[in-house]
Amino acid sequence: MKLKLYSMATAALLGSTAMAAAECADPIKVGVLHSLSGTMAISETTLKDTMLMLIEQQNKAGGLLGCEIEAVVVDPASDWPLFAEKARELLTVHEVDVIFGNWTSVSRKSVLPVIEELNGLLFYPVQYEGEESSRNVFYTGAAPNQQAIPAVDYFLEELGVEKFALLGTDYVYPRTTNNILEQYLKDNGIAADDIFVNYTPFGHSDWATIVADVVALGEDGKQVGVISTINGDANIGFYKELAAAGVSADDIPVVAFSVGEEELSGLDTSNLVGHLAAWNYFQSAETDANAEFIAAWKEFAGEDRVTNDPMEAHYIGFNMWVNAATEAGTTDVDAVRSAMYGQEFPNLTGGTAVMLPNHHLAKPVLIGEITADGQFDIISKTEEVPGDAWTDFLPASKVLTSDWKDLGCGMYNIETETCVQLTSNY
Amino acid sequence: MAPGCTKRFDPSRKPVFMRRFLVAIALFFCALTPVQAEDLQRILQAHAEEVANPSRRSVGVVLDDLVTSGLAQVPGFLENWADKNVWRSPDRLFFLGDVAGDVIEVTDLDSGETRSAPRAGFTQLKPNGGVRRLIGTALVQFQLADPDITRRESAVAAIARRPEAAQLAPLIASIDTETDERLRARKVQLANFLSARFAEAPQDRIDAIQSLAQDTSVEARSVLNQILQTEAGVGAAEPEGNIARLLDPMEAPDAYYAQLVEAGLAPARTGPAVIRAALEAHIDAGTVGGVPLAQLGTDAARERAYAALSKAGAVPPLVTEDTRDYALNTYVFYELYDEPNAEITAAAEAALASVEQRVAFAQAADLALDGLSLASIYFLAAIGLAITFGVMGVINMAHGEFIMMGAYTGYVVQLFVPDYTLSIMIALPLAFAVTFGAGVTMERLVIRHLYHRPLETLLATFGISIALQQLAKNIFGTQARPLTSPDWLDGAWVISDVVQISFIRIAIFVLALLFLALILFVLKRTRLGLEVRAVTQNPGMAASMGINPDRINMLTFGLGSGIAGIAGVAIGLYAKVTSEMGADYIVQSFMTVVVGGVGNVWGTLAGASLIGFLQKGIEWLNPSNTLAAQTYMILFIILFIQFRPKGIVALKGRAAAD
Amino acid sequence: MRKSFISQNPSVLWFLLALSLFTLGVVMLSEVTGSNVISTSFVKTLGKTLCLCLVAIAMDVVWGYCGILSLGHFAFFGIGGYAIGMWLMYARTEAIVMDSLQAQVIPPTPQEISDAIGNQIFGVVGSSEFPLIWAFADGLFLQLLMVVLVPGVLALVFGWLAFRSRVTGVYLSILTQAMTLALSLYLFQNDSGLRGNNGLSGLQNIPGFEDTPQATISIVFFLASAVALGAGYVFFAWVVSGKMGSVIKGVRDNEARVRFLGYHVESYKLFVFTITAIISGIAGALYYPQAGIINPGEIAPIASIYLAVWVAIGGRGRLYGAVIGAAFVSLLSSWFTGGGAPDVNLGIYTIQWTDWWLVLLGVSFVAVTLFFPKGIGGLFDYLVRKPS
Repeated sequence: MKLKLYSMATAALLGSTAMAAAECADPIKVGVLHSLSGTMAISETTLKDTMLMLIEQQNKAGGLLGCEIEAVVVDPASDWPLFAEKARELLTVHEVDVIFGNWTSVSRKSVLPVIEELNGLLFYPVQYEGEESSRNVFYTGAAPNQQAIPAVDYFLEELGVEKFALLGTDYVYPRTTNNILEQYLKDNGIAADDIFVNYTPFGHSDWATIVADVVALGEDGKQVGVISTINGDANIGFYKELAAAGVSADDIPVVAFSVGEEELSGLDTSNLVGHLAAWNYFQSAETDANAEFIAAWKEFAGEDRVTNDPMEAHYIGFNMWVNAATEAGTTDVDAVRSAMYGQEFPNLTGGTAVMLPNHHLAKPVLIGEITADGQFDIISKTEEVPGDAWTDFLPASKVLTSDWKDLGCGMYNIETETCVQLTSNY
Repeated sequence: MAPGCTKRFDPSRKPVFMRRFLVAIALFFCALTPVQAEDLQRILQAHAEEVANPSRRSVGVVLDDLVTSGLAQVPGFLENWADKNVWRSPDRLFFLGDVAGDVIEVTDLDSGETRSAPRAGFTQLKPNGGVRRLIGTALVQFQLADPDITRRESAVAAIARRPEAAQLAPLIASIDTETDERLRARKVQLANFLSARFAEAPQDRIDAIQSLAQDTSVEARSVLNQILQTEAGVGAAEPEGNIARLLDPMEAPDAYYAQLVEAGLAPARTGPAVIRAALEAHIDAGTVGGVPLAQLGTDAARERAYAALSKAGAVPPLVTEDTRDYALNTYVFYELYDEPNAEITAAAEAALASVEQRVAFAQAADLALDGLSLASIYFLAAIGLAITFGVMGVINMAHGEFIMMGAYTGYVVQLFVPDYTLSIMIALPLAFAVTFGAGVTMERLVIRHLYHRPLETLLATFGISIALQQLAKNIFGTQARPLTSPDWLDGAWVISDVVQISFIRIAIFVLALLFLALILFVLKRTRLGLEVRAVTQNPGMAASMGINPDRINMLTFGLGSGIAGIAGVAIGLYAKVTSEMGADYIVQSFMTVVVGGVGNVWGTLAGASLIGFLQKGIEWLNPSNTLAAQTYMILFIILFIQFRPKGIVALKGRAAAD
Repeated sequence: MRKSFISQNPSVLWFLLALSLFTLGVVMLSEVTGSNVISTSFVKTLGKTLCLCLVAIAMDVVWGYCGILSLGHFAFFGIGGYAIGMWLMYARTEAIVMDSLQAQVIPPTPQEISDAIGNQIFGVVGSSEFPLIWAFADGLFLQLLMVVLVPGVLALVFGWLAFRSRVTGVYLSILTQAMTLALSLYLFQNDSGLRGNNGLSGLQNIPGFEDTPQATISIVFFLASAVALGAGYVFFAWVVSGKMGSVIKGVRDNEARVRFLGYHVESYKLFVFTITAIISGIAGALYYPQAGIINPGEIAPIASIYLAVWVAIGGRGRLYGAVIGAAFVSLLSSWFTGGGAPDVNLGIYTIQWTDWWLVLLGVSFVAVTLFFPKGIGGLFDYLVRKPS
């Protein structure tokens, strides 16, 4: 308590004396660890720009703790080992106070040991497969129960889907998500025969056979629905083939977890109207905060740019970090981490995001239908769903929970009441 | 206003039959009160929250009320509702709305009066797909005989999506008045489907079922499968009813035992986790059932301890395999048809068996079509390479980047020429020209100097490849770019529900054939071809006959590159345009050429066919993992080349020498 | 024999001397001695570069000396990495799992331990069963044997099949590329039992040395890489000198003639192909614990082509050329892509090297092939031999 008072006092002191950033000994450094070249540059460059915009805005608003914020941008070039190397460089050479970065799960797994060894702080903005909890990472993207499960519920409840095709790119996020969904569907009374699973390589383009297989699923008169975890470019061929086969959203709805505004810009969406995507954010959300964010983004990055879900995650994450650091009066990792729990910040889609002790956010889940202009029409919005690091639908994970605030453990077995491990499972 | 009329709109949740009854009574009374003019807005207001946020499970009440109200505006309203044209005003009334900027033009639902209002505060109603489907079903009765053909079509589509018994009669009634030939046929077909499932007389159903024995469509099969739905069960003896089959539990004893446990007919299996939990619960002074804790690190010791516990009566006895098998053999496992009439199910079984045979043939045909399509794509991608590699012996690792260049040319053309048909017509020759130019430039600047060092050509062209790829990224960005096909290439050629192929793939097939013919013609029937063949076989001799080998090499290389550009447009149309698309095809193209046999156009055709069909075949064997199919295919090719190093169509004699 | 070998190859001594000085310098300037001039992350980069030099030498022997343009040696490198990675991952996870199981009242059965480890390692790809290929992962010695055996046997079988059918030149290059592609596609599959796209991670944490700081571990691996490079250099210098070296070079220059002289060309080729594959595997086993993660992307065909690029730029047919090429290009590449190079402002357009580095590399590669077929090493030759 004393400590807290003290730090609040310093915060006040800093706040009052150091409004002129010149007095600040050295600027506060924010590391940006997003690929600017290679295969992932397509998605990650946008996030780098988002971070630069947010930092610029914050500096205009007076910086943080009286200091200027300086962005340290490095390029891990979509090369997973390089992520670890660059993270080490950020933490030891540039001595950054926090890192915002990563997109793919494998890059996160690459960075984890380094961040934990050097006690860094990482904000990870992308929807992911869960089954992980690190003391040093805040997951501002959706866990499976904040995206996949509500989307499947929507299929079951609202669309009456009785037979599922789980199509995914062959990597960890689709594999784990589909494992969870398979179990979840079985728990909801869908027979194993009514679940068709297919994995394709990255950038797959020959979709004719798979689309035909999906259409053929309808042969027993059950309503068929597709859950797509297809990643990146491969979506273009997939949707083109769907359109060519005349599969309308009324016959076989497709809900995608990795298709956002950015991906649709590579497509003519007139044939895809009505297909779905589930995210925590859509550009079409009608709130004042969102309108402001979009306007600022277009001014910063260009008129034809769109906003998407991971950008909102960085927006929330960065602002929460700023508020937590202000509250703690320091950018020291452990102090900020403690101050993060319970941080609230308004979502761009309305409502408030809350940081939970398991390092995930409570956020609403939106389901949108693709419109002819490449945007999404939001047709369903849930209450705030608390993110769950360990899924409740796999037997091995059901007994695990994560609570860094009170239990101080990210992998706590509630049956044996022991902490399985303090580091994360990379 | 008559109080009785408002009361029936009370949205309190009552069972549906009860509501219907009330509705009927209320309607009766309302009809007696002349002052009352029915009014759509009032019905909607009674269900305001459900209308604003409808859900598939609960919207039925609203739809029932709307339909039974008999109001003339209802069909129009339902259509607009489904099309998301209905808005809710700040004072919570519903209107048809049309937004233009910040202004909304609202139309009163009942009077049709129109006025403008500021858009702020109005919210759009967005019924989800499930609700829209129900709305479609509710609209069927209004639309089946509508003069507008699109309405009739959507009614028929709605029936196809949600077949219901009640639709049979109106559907049959609408057939006679149907003017459109095609729609009429479709109505007859649907009526047949509906009769198979819902007709009153069993004989009618059997007749309808038997007529489906020829129909391979997904819908027909779904009708048969619906009739044949079964429910699995377990009991002490065979049950009453239409038994589909009896099952042998020993086929998967654990699964069937789990079924017994679920039915409460047997105790649960004692798995390792159960044993462990039981042991933990009975720790007694450092031992469990007389076994010291430290020794419990093996399954055998644990079972011993558990046995001791169960002997003492502390835990239920261990369920062993013997007890499991005994339990399984005392019960009958069966599947029971939902349909009680055995004659109908027998007819449906027979029809389905005949259909499935046809479907198997059709699927084989479809697979063959897919294979053909894939082969033509590989052929198109590889044929340019076959010319440069096969005829000139030059490895061009940048071939994939020429494909990419062609695709980007198509994209750029579409930026300037918005008409898709015209833009493709321009893009194809332009892509050829661009890549022809690039190929000739590359040949002049680089490859010419490396003719006698093939391995170094490989590396130099690889350097060009990475430079071009990065250049494309710098110019066009890493984002995939759209290359949209013209309308007449949209859609698919549907032979049946099983056999179909998209027009774009047919176009690629035709393009591949065209180029096969063109190249054969150029090589065999023209002066250029003659010279190319001469240079291929003996450059020195050819030169002494007055042929300029430099010029021939340049033109050949240009031709090969130009075709790659056209392939790029085609591939971009069916898949995607990215800076990395070339890299996706380069290894495949090389293998196509090598497998087919170098230096021979027919060889490339054979190679592309082999790879295309093989890949589809392996995919068919393992449909859930396309990546594995690709892996196995490459392994096959590696082995194939080991045993036939010169490819399928091997050249003989001098030309075959290295 | 040995004496004459060294005296015939003075460059070996020079190389060893330079390598020792370099190693000593790096150790002195590293965090271990407290001087902190070279950060731990840069020590790791240098250590990895040494491993790349080793695989480049192997590539040089198989291509520059024997004339087989293998586009698969980086695959062997990766296999070595996977082999060591399996042990690192298994042993690390085992320690964690044993710790957490110790807390339970009833001691765990072997099956429970194996399940728990499997769940930790494969839980991320939705499985907990140990695939067959992990059979030896619990023992360091056996797994180290795998580092040598798996690439060796694969190269032996592949080489035997290919050389037996007289697949040569460009065809062989494409075939090796196909092999690499097949391997990387196989590893990309989640069902392969090697965690698919995620690969094996956290390899920098050496089991049993959890409390040792990374600064120390990085130096140990750096030294090990330097020793391996030195030993590999001497070994390959010995291989390519003497009579065997002459035969190998003869195979490169005119295979048919060597065959007519009565040599069994296939055996020589097979020997070179296999031994270089084994050395590549060893280099990989040293590289990936420093990189921290191995995944199928590392094995993609492009990586093997880059390997050929390094050797070509460094200068084929001279071992130091391969070392120079690998070190120069890989370090330059990380300098350019790491934002180290200043942007060039052309007034209307600013060249950002992160975007343009690959264009530069590609073009310079074409230039080297066209104008300097002997590469940087050739330049070196010129400078050294001129005075004498």
